[in-house]
Amino acid sequence: MKVPSIIHIQLVAFRRLLVETKEQFCFAVKSIFQRIFWWVMSLSLFSWIYITMQNLMIKALSVGPIPEHVSFIMDGNRRYAKSRRLPVKKGHEAGGLTLLTLLYICKRLGVKCVSAYAFSIENFNRPKEEVDTLMNLFTVKLDEFAKRANDYKDPLYGSKIRIVGDQSLLSPEMRERIRKVEDITKDGDDFTLYICFPYTSRNDMLHTIRESVQESLENKSQSKINIKKFTNKMYMDFYSNKCELLIRTSGHRRLSDYMLWQVHENATIEFSDTLWPNFSFFAMYSMILKWSFFCTIQKYNERNHSLFEKVYEGVPSILKRKKTPMSLYQFPNPPISVSITGEE
Amino acid sequence: MIKKDDKTVEPPNEKPHRRIERNDIPESSNHIPPPESSVLKGGKVNSKTRALKAVTSILADADEKPQKRSNDEGDGTKKQRSEYWGKGIGKFEYIFYKFLLVMLYSCFGLFRYGQYQYHKMKLRIFSIIYNHAYTPQLIRQDVVSLKKIPKRLAAILEVKPVGDVGGGVTGLLNDASEIVCWTVSAGIKHLMLYDYDGILQRNVPELRIEIQSNLAKYFGPAHVPNYAVKIPHSDKIFYNLDGIETETDVGNEVDVNDERDKIAIEISLLSNRDGRETIVDLTKTMAELCAVNELNVSDITMDLVDSELKQLVGPEPDLLLYFGPSLDLQGFPPWHIRLTEFYWEKDNNEVIYSVFIRGLRQYSGCKVNVGK
Repeated sequence: MKVPSIIHIQLVAFRRLLVETKEQFCFAVKSIFQRIFWWVMSLSLFSWIYITMQNLMIKALSVGPIPEHVSFIMDGNRRYAKSRRLPVKKGHEAGGLTLLTLLYICKRLGVKCVSAYAFSIENFNRPKEEVDTLMNLFTVKLDEFAKRANDYKDPLYGSKIRIVGDQSLLSPEMRERIRKVEDITKDGDDFTLYICFPYTSRNDMLHTIRESVQESLENKSQSKINIKKFTNKMYMDFYSNKCELLIRTSGHRRLSDYMLWQVHENATIEFSDTLWPNFSFFAMYSMILKWSFFCTIQKYNERNHSLFEKVYEGVPSILKRKKTPMSLYQFPNPPISVSITGEE
Repeated sequence: MIKKDDKTVEPPNEKPHRRIERNDIPESSNHIPPPESSVLKGGKVNSKTRALKAVTSILADADEKPQKRSNDEGDGTKKQRSEYWGKGIGKFEYIFYKFLLVMLYSCFGLFRYGQYQYHKMKLRIFSIIYNHAYTPQLIRQDVVSLKKIPKRLAAILEVKPVGDVGGGVTGLLNDASEIVCWTVSAGIKHLMLYDYDGILQRNVPELRIEIQSNLAKYFGPAHVPNYAVKIPHSDKIFYNLDGIETETDVGNEVDVNDERDKIAIEISLLSNRDGRETIVDLTKTMAELCAVNELNVSDITMDLVDSELKQLVGPEPDLLLYFGPSLDLQGFPPWHIRLTEFYWEKDNNEVIYSVFIRGLRQYSGCKVNVGK
């Protein structure tokens, strides 16, 4: 069926108008609801309940199995800013805040190491303004983190920060700053934070290949290169092979050149549709709970003994029937065997 | 410059073309899947009571005592800190939290069970909606409406226990050939089939027979499209059923330049060997070349490594399909999944058409922006 062009144009315009009004309406309703929600939450009773609940949940989970290395791909800052009609910079700031909150929680849960994809080498292709904003924001956050890691009243006390990636792409002053911060926090051993600053996983692998080749050239003894040694030479040295949980936000189902080596064997990869600044405590908690739940069952299946056996192990050995090897002829004689035909 | 000389050192499989063994149990693969997929794939072993037992077993776990901060003495700052943050968890508190955790686990377990049933229902409905009916025209029709399709498709396959439906090696071969048929019908030219133990690589003749018969089922025996089966690891290509009738000829290498009809699909078979090990092998080769001064360390660039790995394993796939219950990459070559889109259906455990077509749908809707 052919629609006359005038009507067609009007139809399109009308539809666009509808969509726009709908969008605006949704936005308004959403913001009102959010405001009400936050007002309720700000009442001291509710906030007390919320905090207590959160504490209980964190402590409960921390007595179970916990992933050693959790990794984040922080995607969606810009879309968040766009959806709230804020400048891009605000989006990135909100993202930084989310990361900090989640770091607290991870540390309290007992996660040993967190890594985050802050900046990809490919991100240098973005407009210069945004790159500069990101760099500035990064240095500010870095200093803040270093301060917190040294303040014993802060929950992040005792953590180590490492900036990994191809630092030759950064400006010299930036490198100097990074070196300083790494130096300040190098004694922390409770918790390690890896910030992948200009990082791509292929670059990581390339770097490791080069290092390995260089090393084998230097000591002529031809110490064999194997997978384990190779892995330990990667940027995240000790934690390179242990990424148990990778979380990617904002709906894309791909890795985007992050942690390929670390993740492709036996890591759980979780994709979430929320944008990174909206990624809340509960979202992460449920992911770790899921991991922990299945890990418990997996461990149980591997170990393969039940509660009863556990209790039985504890029973003193006198009460248990002893099993000693015995020759067949030492057994008591069986009853007489008689055949139905009556033969002897 | 760098030839695949590491290949000659180590023959990939001792018996490249062994006859199929019906009860061929996969080599005890040392692959430890991530918790969720390992549990969900466990089959009948994982009953609900077993899950409950497992969950309650953590109450009795004595091996994880509450961690005591023993090294608090001496160090001033640490002491200061422990004073500020209070002591670690006490014994009773610890038990209380364990109970709480069991409750949390139980709630989550219930929720997950509901989710499982929901997903199963969804999958059943999908398999009604998306049905290929062994007709390539229908598959093509499903694909035509999409905006774009991937150039290269990869799929991770796995052997199911021999006792299950579609289990064992025959089941795996059947799955592989089904995917080949769908891919041909959809008009995708390259397919990478990955299985951890390399069973497909070891059973190439059987795979080709299976593909042939399955293609005949789809297209009719007279119109079987041409296909090439490639093993990048040992650098071999097989065309259609060439040389399979004469048993002695199996595995005869055919020159690539040979004049042939257009090949509709190229199938590469990958295994765990093509993943980390190949990268490490490449490193070794480069180290050797550097040692005899044929290569400089500064010459090792992204492009060089990339082109070498492209030659050794193949190009990067655009879409990776996984037919298991939760994403488990199983050591798929890490260099090659840089921007690859993943698709899997939650709680699905079969190689079914709806996963294939829905994966293509997702791909057609996705937007790749490298860095931007």
